[in-house]
Amino acid sequence: MTLGKALYYFAREALLNLFRSWKTSLLAVTTIAVSLFIGGFFLMLAANASRLIEDWKSEAMVVVYFAPTTDLNEVDAARSLAGSPAWVEGVDEVTAPQARERFRASFPSVATLVEGWEEEPLPASLEVSFDPLLVEDHAFEAWLGELEELPEVELVDDDRDWVDQLELALQLVLGLGLALGAVLLGAAILTIASVIRLTAILYQDEIDVMRLVGATEFYLRGPFYVEGLWQGLLGGLVALGALFGGFVAVQPMAEGSLLLGTMGTTFLAWPQQVLLVGVGAVAGLLGAIFSLRREAI
Amino acid sequence: MISFFDVTKRFPGGQVALDRVSFEIGAGEFVFLTGPSGAGKTTLLSLILRQDLPTHGRILVNGRNVVSLPRTKIPFLRRSIGVVFQDFRLIPRKTVFENVTYLPRILGLGSEKQRTLGYETLRRVGLAHKANAFPLELSGGEQQRVAIARALVNDPAILVADEPTGNLDEDLSDEIFELFREIHLRGTTVIVATHDRDRIRRAGQRVLVLHGGRLVRDGDAPVENSELEPVLSRGENGG
Ligand SMILES: Nc1ncnc2c1ncn2[C@@H]1O[C@H](COP(=O)(O)OP(=O)(O)O)[C@@H](O)[C@H]1O
Ligand SMILES: [Mg+2]
Repeated sequence: MTLGKALYYFAREALLNLFRSWKTSLLAVTTIAVSLFIGGFFLMLAANASRLIEDWKSEAMVVVYFAPTTDLNEVDAARSLAGSPAWVEGVDEVTAPQARERFRASFPSVATLVEGWEEEPLPASLEVSFDPLLVEDHAFEAWLGELEELPEVELVDDDRDWVDQLELALQLVLGLGLALGAVLLGAAILTIASVIRLTAILYQDEIDVMRLVGATEFYLRGPFYVEGLWQGLLGGLVALGALFGGFVAVQPMAEGSLLLGTMGTTFLAWPQQVLLVGVGAVAGLLGAIFSLRREAI
Repeated sequence: MISFFDVTKRFPGGQVALDRVSFEIGAGEFVFLTGPSGAGKTTLLSLILRQDLPTHGRILVNGRNVVSLPRTKIPFLRRSIGVVFQDFRLIPRKTVFENVTYLPRILGLGSEKQRTLGYETLRRVGLAHKANAFPLELSGGEQQRVAIARALVNDPAILVADEPTGNLDEDLSDEIFELFREIHLRGTTVIVATHDRDRIRRAGQRVLVLHGGRLVRDGDAPVENSELEPVLSRGENGG
């Protein structure tokens, strides 16, 4: 028999087995789907969050806040120091009234916080945008220190620190998520192995007869390998479908929310989708190999 | 076609199922294998099929040394031997046609050839009209005829049957043995293990008689029933 015909025969037999013992098959498919769903969920979370972090990184600014009553006409020293390094792309001045207006516009629900003061409630500032790629850490730190030491400067705020920390936290969460997915995948492989073992035991008499009329081990085992493959493949597709369903369902909510609106906007890229289903298929095949190793049937 | 040289089979528990058995069966012979229950008939047939290995001795089947046959070659030996059991052993979830054409299918024959071969073989056992039925929809005699068709489909050099009529009544047994006779007439070597003394006597063919694992008689069927009686009297209830 040619390999193509053999595979067709295996696929057909495996599909029949799958339907014939659909309850145990369902168990196998479900466990693999759950583990892949969790792995996929964290992948999606990580992909979206890291995109957001990249955005933040590229928009990273140093903000030089002046003391409350500082007159912007008297900050030339700060202005020239802020603009001097090579990595600086631009320096924008934000006057105290502008800062107040911005706050009102960004946070309308708490706008009253900045209203009704005698003096301006928010300080004037310089927003220094820079190219992160040109930054040389040591000189950057020194520059921040110099800015902070100017008498009219009250605070120098550097975004980079917390973006870095956020990135670290994100990697940690992704790592934990993938680890959880991997553990569940291991459990799923064992489940598939048991399910296939059960099927093999169920059909032991038939297998013995086929062996006696001259079937090779290749033909006896092939359908079981493909059955594992089918289960894994199905599990992967179910996980992918559930992730997409969840994504579509959450989308309207996400658009209304400040955090998720900027974040939950893309689904898994297609290579990741293929990866998810592929991992399922491989896991299923592994389960079958695991269950039929040695003289198992 | 089949040779046993000084073959002993001792099971791990210590039971000696075959004790220094030697015989030769030529191509195209028809041989009955008989003896009381537990005499070693099934064990002997299982050694021919290389389901098990002898503890001692040499076995040649169709020119192959069965004892030294590598594992991967076993399926090829079995494809040259058709096998029929007392309990039919058909696959209930497959149709009669699929049961019969299992081997041609895994041998990679085209579906048209499978059809021709399947129907031709089913016609030989008179069951072409039941091709699409499932085994459990058939009577015992019909199921055994399907099993015989399955055994014949690859045109084997040897047909081995282990008490093929043990589950069938007299009329159906007649049909089955008539089939074996036809198969034999077409040149196949046939070995049938059976308890049916009358039939052995009437058939007038060569008989191997086992008793307690020993080959106690090898020759033409005894003319008189009494000649077989002494060695078989303990096997009254079959097995
Ligand atoms: N797998 C086995 N393990 C141990 N003893 C066995 C096994 N198979 C058969 N025997 C023993 O070998 C002897 C011959 O059995 P068997 O060949 O089945 O006889 P028959 O087919 O003539 O009734 C019996 O004593 C039986 O108990
Ligand atoms: Mg027996």
